[in-house]
Amino acid sequence: MPLESLVRTALGMRVAVWRSHGPGPAVVCLHGAGVSSRELLPFVRAMGVTHDAWSLDLPGFGRSEKPRAPLTLTALADAVAGWVAESGLQRPCLLGGSFGCQVAVDVAARHPGAAGALVLVGPTVDARARNPARLVGQWLRNSVRESPRMLPLNAADYLDAGPRQVLASFGISMRDRIEDKLPHVAVPALVVRGGKDRMVSQAWAEEVTRLLPRGRLVVMDGLPHMVPYKDPRGLAREVGAFLEAAW
Amino acid sequence: MVRPQKAVASFDSATGMLRALSRFLHDRDVPLLGQAPGVLEPVAAAIAGAAARLPRAAKEKAYAVSGWAEAVPLRRVPEIRAEELARWVSGHYPPGPYPVAFVGSSNGALVHLAAALRAPWLPQTLLLPVRRRGVGPDDPRGDLRATRAAGEALLAANPELVLHHMHDANQDRLMIAGMTYFRVKWRRLPEAYRRFLEESLPAGATLVVPECGLSWPVTRVGPRYVFQHGALGGATREEYEHGGPRVAGYLSRYGAGRERWDYPPADGESPEAEWGFEPELLADLEELAARNGWRLARMRFDEPEDLSPVVADLYRSWYRRRGLPADRLLVECFLLLEPWWALRSGSVPYWMVFNAGQSHARAMDYLDGADPFDEIRLMLFSHGVESVGLAGVADWRRLLERARKVGVFTGVDTSTYPRDFAGLIRAHRELSRIRTTYPMPLPLEWEAAEEFLGKREELDWSG
Repeated sequence: MPLESLVRTALGMRVAVWRSHGPGPAVVCLHGAGVSSRELLPFVRAMGVTHDAWSLDLPGFGRSEKPRAPLTLTALADAVAGWVAESGLQRPCLLGGSFGCQVAVDVAARHPGAAGALVLVGPTVDARARNPARLVGQWLRNSVRESPRMLPLNAADYLDAGPRQVLASFGISMRDRIEDKLPHVAVPALVVRGGKDRMVSQAWAEEVTRLLPRGRLVVMDGLPHMVPYKDPRGLAREVGAFLEAAW
Repeated sequence: MVRPQKAVASFDSATGMLRALSRFLHDRDVPLLGQAPGVLEPVAAAIAGAAARLPRAAKEKAYAVSGWAEAVPLRRVPEIRAEELARWVSGHYPPGPYPVAFVGSSNGALVHLAAALRAPWLPQTLLLPVRRRGVGPDDPRGDLRATRAAGEALLAANPELVLHHMHDANQDRLMIAGMTYFRVKWRRLPEAYRRFLEESLPAGATLVVPECGLSWPVTRVGPRYVFQHGALGGATREEYEHGGPRVAGYLSRYGAGRERWDYPPADGESPEAEWGFEPELLADLEELAARNGWRLARMRFDEPEDLSPVVADLYRSWYRRRGLPADRLLVECFLLLEPWWALRSGSVPYWMVFNAGQSHARAMDYLDGADPFDEIRLMLFSHGVESVGLAGVADWRRLLERARKVGVFTGVDTSTYPRDFAGLIRAHRELSRIRTTYPMPLPLEWEAAEEFLGKREELDWSG
């Protein structure tokens, strides 16, 4: 089934969105730092078989409008919450990949009515690893396990966003103290970690789950950080099962 | 003379439990199963990780050779001295005084009980692996024939021992390819144990004898020599002796060219070699306790895992009394034990005797009856064999799904299990990375523990 491409307006900015309209409740995907929906589209297709799957380019990334200055994490979260309100979706499940988890958690903690559930796939950034050199090291160790087909997608994303946006998003990701917000996420939340993810340690994934009042951890064996790209169908199965139990 | 540390198997339950508990009493955790300094752990993990990528046949060979390298040559067996073994065992523990000490059956749950009390445990049983050639793992009669003389010589030199010559072609397939298992039990209290106890227990202390009542079919070879058919785990006693579809399937998987094993006919039952208690030892313990003004308490139970839910519940109630969450479970397997990290991570320890279906079923039963746990961690011992009755990864996942929040394998590579030999190293490494931890508590008081244990129907107390 082809993906539907839409452009909506949220908080005065044009936001590019993809949708695969399946029968089940809505799942809205949020991408990682510096990239765009491109790497989530295989997952949107897989999720769309059973659910109403969406993916949006955060303002400043992919095909969305570029603000004059990079947005803060709070502003990105507000844009997502605004988009949800304007799109008429009723408390959808927000699924974040990597930095997208930080946006999703901020939405859930500060806009309690915006999300009905969260899925955090490879949540960044480990509170004990908030240092650029360490992150680069982890990223390099992880990258050998990622699909090489993701490289051209990432390159296109970085070109779309421009170096200023990309660096700003990494800076935001690093400064965000996600651990302070997790206890305020009241909705059911599924944490997903690839068993071979070098950017998100098992200990940190457990810590994130522990801090979430209604969190549950799933480890997908043998997968790297970008679970949605490497195993879109497997992840869709896990999310489907989680939503069935949660709702 | 054979040095005790060379004679005793380091891959065995008794040794693993002795190391875990004695290191705990020295305020140490158990990296590398306590066999090497913890600083070597990353290196060992890397080497084992690389070895894990070897082809299956090479991995099985490496595992078998690692065991064989530890075994005593057949001709040197008569040089082994029980008294030396006992001195080596008791030398693991720091000097007392202790309010309570344990002497008797090996048991993983007991190790956690002893750790909570900061008390030592002296095992009745040790495993002496013995090298032998020219006998396949599926030939129990051949095994007995090849090593019987060495067993008799061992007994002649050590009148205080009973020999349980054990042959488990199901679960020990790789290990017994080049060796045989001599499990010895003390029927008289060795001098080194007596001295250690007298130096460490003040008058008024309690000497507890954990007595596991598990027995097993055997062939009597001599007055103090029995040959045991198989062992507790995946296959039943009947399957070891008479075969069956599961045994035939297993033997065909391993190309054994036979449908069942040919054990010499069983002519009796005996305390099970690894877990069962040999009651002859009691007389010496009673006499020693009376002479030193200690109270002797007998703690009897039918099967090794009877103690597991009891100790798990004891820990849970203790954590609650201390105001800790008590919602974390650590499921341990065989010799993979971590008393130090169990307490530091606030985990309730539940010990399984092995990785087979019946341990899985009992652990599930425990979870059925317990308040739910938020977190469940599972360590699994990999013995390298697709043995009869093995519980597979899917079974273990069902157990982990009982966790409300975090249900995870600890140190298990599910893609290589049960040939996941690096898991022995990885388990400790992963356990030590849990983030929410608690200070080491003061020891549990023996009176409080005894009162708790005394109310449990799984245990039969006397004295």
